[in-house]
Amino acid sequence: MISMSSILSSRSGLILFFLCLVPLATAYLDQGDYLLRICSTAYLYMLLALGLNVVTGFTGLLDLGYVGFYLIGGYTAGLLMARLGWSYWAALPVAAIHGGLWGLLRGAPTLRLTGDYFAIVTFGFSELLFRIVKNEEWLIGGPNGFVNDIPAPTLFGYELWQYWQQYYHILILLILTLLVVYRLHNSRIGRAWQAISQDEEAAQTMGINLHEYKSLAFAISAAIGAIGGAFFAQFQVNISAGVFEFWESILILCMIVLGGIGTLKGALIGAAILGSLGEVLRISLSWMRLPADSRYLIFGAILVMMMRFRPAGILRSTQKSP
Amino acid sequence: MKQQTLIETAPYRALCRLEIGHICSALRSSLVLLLIFSAAFLLTAQEAEAAKTIKVAVAGPFTGSVAAFGEMIKKGAQLRAKEINGNGGINSKELELIFEDDTGKDKEASLVATRIASNKKILAVVGHFNSSCSLAGKPIYKRNRIVELSPGSTNVNVCKGSDYTFRNLYRDDFQGSFSAKYIKGVLTDVKTVAVFFDNDDYGRGLRDSFKQSAEKAGLAIVADEAYDRDTTDYKAQLTKIKSASPDLIFIAGLYSQAGLILSQARESGITAQFFGADGVDSPKLLEIAGEAANGIYITTPFIFGLEGNEEAQRVAIAFEQEFGKAPDTWAALTYDAVGMIVEAIEKRGESRKAIRDHLGSLTSPEKGYQGITGLTYFDENGDCLKPAYVKQVVNGKFVAAKVQFLD
Amino acid sequence: MTLFLEQIVNGLVLGGIYALIAVGYTMVYGVIQLINFAHGEIFMFGAYFAFLCLAVLKFPLWLAVLASILLCALMGVVIDLIAYRPLRNAPRLSALITAIGISLILQNLARMIWGAEPRRDLANAKSAFLSQTVIIPGGAQLSYLDLSIIILAILLMVGLNRLISLTRIGKAMRACAQDKMAASLMGIDTNRVIGATFAIGSALGAVAGIMVGMRETIEPTMGYYKGVAAFAAAVLGGIGNITGAMLGGVVLGIAEVLGAGYISSGYRVAISYILMILVIVFRPAGLLGRASAKRA
Repeated sequence: MISMSSILSSRSGLILFFLCLVPLATAYLDQGDYLLRICSTAYLYMLLALGLNVVTGFTGLLDLGYVGFYLIGGYTAGLLMARLGWSYWAALPVAAIHGGLWGLLRGAPTLRLTGDYFAIVTFGFSELLFRIVKNEEWLIGGPNGFVNDIPAPTLFGYELWQYWQQYYHILILLILTLLVVYRLHNSRIGRAWQAISQDEEAAQTMGINLHEYKSLAFAISAAIGAIGGAFFAQFQVNISAGVFEFWESILILCMIVLGGIGTLKGALIGAAILGSLGEVLRISLSWMRLPADSRYLIFGAILVMMMRFRPAGILRSTQKSP
Repeated sequence: MKQQTLIETAPYRALCRLEIGHICSALRSSLVLLLIFSAAFLLTAQEAEAAKTIKVAVAGPFTGSVAAFGEMIKKGAQLRAKEINGNGGINSKELELIFEDDTGKDKEASLVATRIASNKKILAVVGHFNSSCSLAGKPIYKRNRIVELSPGSTNVNVCKGSDYTFRNLYRDDFQGSFSAKYIKGVLTDVKTVAVFFDNDDYGRGLRDSFKQSAEKAGLAIVADEAYDRDTTDYKAQLTKIKSASPDLIFIAGLYSQAGLILSQARESGITAQFFGADGVDSPKLLEIAGEAANGIYITTPFIFGLEGNEEAQRVAIAFEQEFGKAPDTWAALTYDAVGMIVEAIEKRGESRKAIRDHLGSLTSPEKGYQGITGLTYFDENGDCLKPAYVKQVVNGKFVAAKVQFLD
Repeated sequence: MTLFLEQIVNGLVLGGIYALIAVGYTMVYGVIQLINFAHGEIFMFGAYFAFLCLAVLKFPLWLAVLASILLCALMGVVIDLIAYRPLRNAPRLSALITAIGISLILQNLARMIWGAEPRRDLANAKSAFLSQTVIIPGGAQLSYLDLSIIILAILLMVGLNRLISLTRIGKAMRACAQDKMAASLMGIDTNRVIGATFAIGSALGAVAGIMVGMRETIEPTMGYYKGVAAFAAAVLGGIGNITGAMLGGVVLGIAEVLGAGYISSGYRVAISYILMILVIVFRPAGLLGRASAKRA
């Protein structure tokens, strides 16, 4: 186990401590809630980036449809809570398991496929889910996949909808996910994934059961995505098909690439930057009297620049990227 | 297995070995921190400067495929704010409008709503326009107890279930049945009807109510097709509709798609009469459809230029002077909506609750708000009953229909 | 019967458009194994350039079309030059991310310059002749524009096939697609060939953009929607296989229209994805590719 003292004395522990204090600092600002919302969104993206990292970063398989699991988690939790009145504490694990199952299901026919073909299937899968949710009213109960009035979790009778409560909520989820992923990365499983990402045939020769480890990666990655989706559903109070568009997958992919594929730290930093960049740019741009739309253009420009001058990411990884 | 702290992991060690990489990484981290702090700074700076104004948000589709609506909403609100501030403002404070763009999509509307709701300085929201956007914002505004007054959402469910959502125009169940009655009563050669609807809350709701009323009135529904707002090719569905030979095609959707549908329909050889609802009511329709728009009837919550409404005339002239173009229905409704919010602040107080309480008290015609679009008062849900008018496109222009079927 | 025939015709028109865009994707993938996300945006710029020439420069229609095609070909080459070429030897993912970045830049550039509202300028500029309808044997009614699209698409596809199989540059392209290293050893300037590939693909994309602009509207997101479907078509036919892309385009266009007409309107786009997934899972190389899925 990681010892508590080593965490607290490390730099990361210090960062964590300050992060916990943020809500106190913002309580006095009129737009404090807004800041907390930005931070919460950034944490959510960091969580999702960790999840995608398991498949694309650790195992080296390009997943272009990660938003599909985000969708599954969001709708499972959203529908259970809004339509069937379930509690968040029950809906969350169900959403995670549901997501994991679909990760396995999607992975099963692709186990023998390589590289681009796998990527294309992931893309098609998430787009298909998007279309189904958009069109199947009997399933979702609203057009365009609209599910409204998703309640926040309740603890001792209090609904935890306030922005500072949501902040701690996602922070805790993020830390738990980070611990899980970190442990996996530094274990036999993580090394098996690393081997698969570098050379599948060699790994197989070394006795690594490709199907088993790949499936595990798919399931865990999907489960994390689903957890993110479940959180988002109650955070945003409503979800619609439009949230789970293809560009979201690309956004998360860019986060881990920006930070450096394969590294935990890279995924976190990339997600923190891109996750909050959208809002920060929007504010700075309106400050400079430029149209808010230009932030997407800057986004794209940053990506191109990054890939041109630092293709392996901000932090370099000891792993070869796919 | 060796136990590691996060610092001792391979990536960090790799970083340390590569000096340049280390420095760059440190720079990157500082950049991140810098960005976060600058954001915080910008926010607090913005606040300090703007403490002396009363802030009301206006949420609408200012960009996106229905931006023409947003443009009119924005201008209508701006005109009202200009007039109010010219008269000394509210309680001698300036009225500041904060415009938030929801691009007409419910996903954006959620984000906008959270943004608005989390800014404690904003006292109320005039918006949203699209029904799905108002519905998306509703629970968020409800949670944060801030009033949402829509000048354009007609879906039946928009105001239900929340004490904080109001609107100053009619609902789709009324609009649907009005349309059906009008067709039956005024367009007497129409026996068969096809419905072509936008697959979102607005389109579906309108189509449901229209279909029900049309069937009750004895009109035969021969086709019932949906379209996706994102597609631009309607030939497949139009071919299907054409084969059913309807006398009239009812479009339950928004102007940008309706315009395309009109021109593609005429190109496919469809000669049926077209009928649309408030979503189609925009001068942009004429631009997009061109000649194909001639003859279409449209139901709308308001028409400028009707007899006896001098206040509306005055506003129309002022609008034209200010912006160089004529106002449309939505500018008028927004003009009134802003007026209602301002009246609430003046009469009850400068807080979210005060505005809510004031609007909630307008429960009868005597207490109602008299604006250029008529008398607005609310029922227990926050809906209001106002009449519908009918327009027609004649020779490339909107004119009031000869017969106004006023119930 | 007439209804069915009209739907088939609609499908052929859509298919022709998809085919024109899909070959762009597939040719680039064939030579540099990159899914060029930005290709959809080039298609979109084809429409906007034509609009620009018409509305601002007041060119006659034929000149605007020609100028647009040339500009897009140039655009394709330039994008390759500044964005993809420096990453020729970098990890595959980097080039992909760059393509996505370019796509974002182009889409938002268009939105910023021209606004997000759909434009009808191209549609209005087409002569009245094209809007007229004609009845073909079988009873289906379609506009001359749609008829021209089908004919033009067929001509261009045949022309492309000729180019690939009969000309030197075509041979060079096939060589590069097979093995870049060997091709360069044989004295082929691979960078030039890749540039030519981009130019041709982009030019065809521009033609498709103008067609769609005339038939429907011009808007910044048209590249994304049509592009994704065209990509699915390319995959359906076998990514890297040009004839496959053409076939895939037609099949997808017809499937989409028939699906929308007979099954459900909401799913017309989903049909692309379903077909694509089925093809990849059961026959990864697509309809016309090699039977075994090799490591890409």
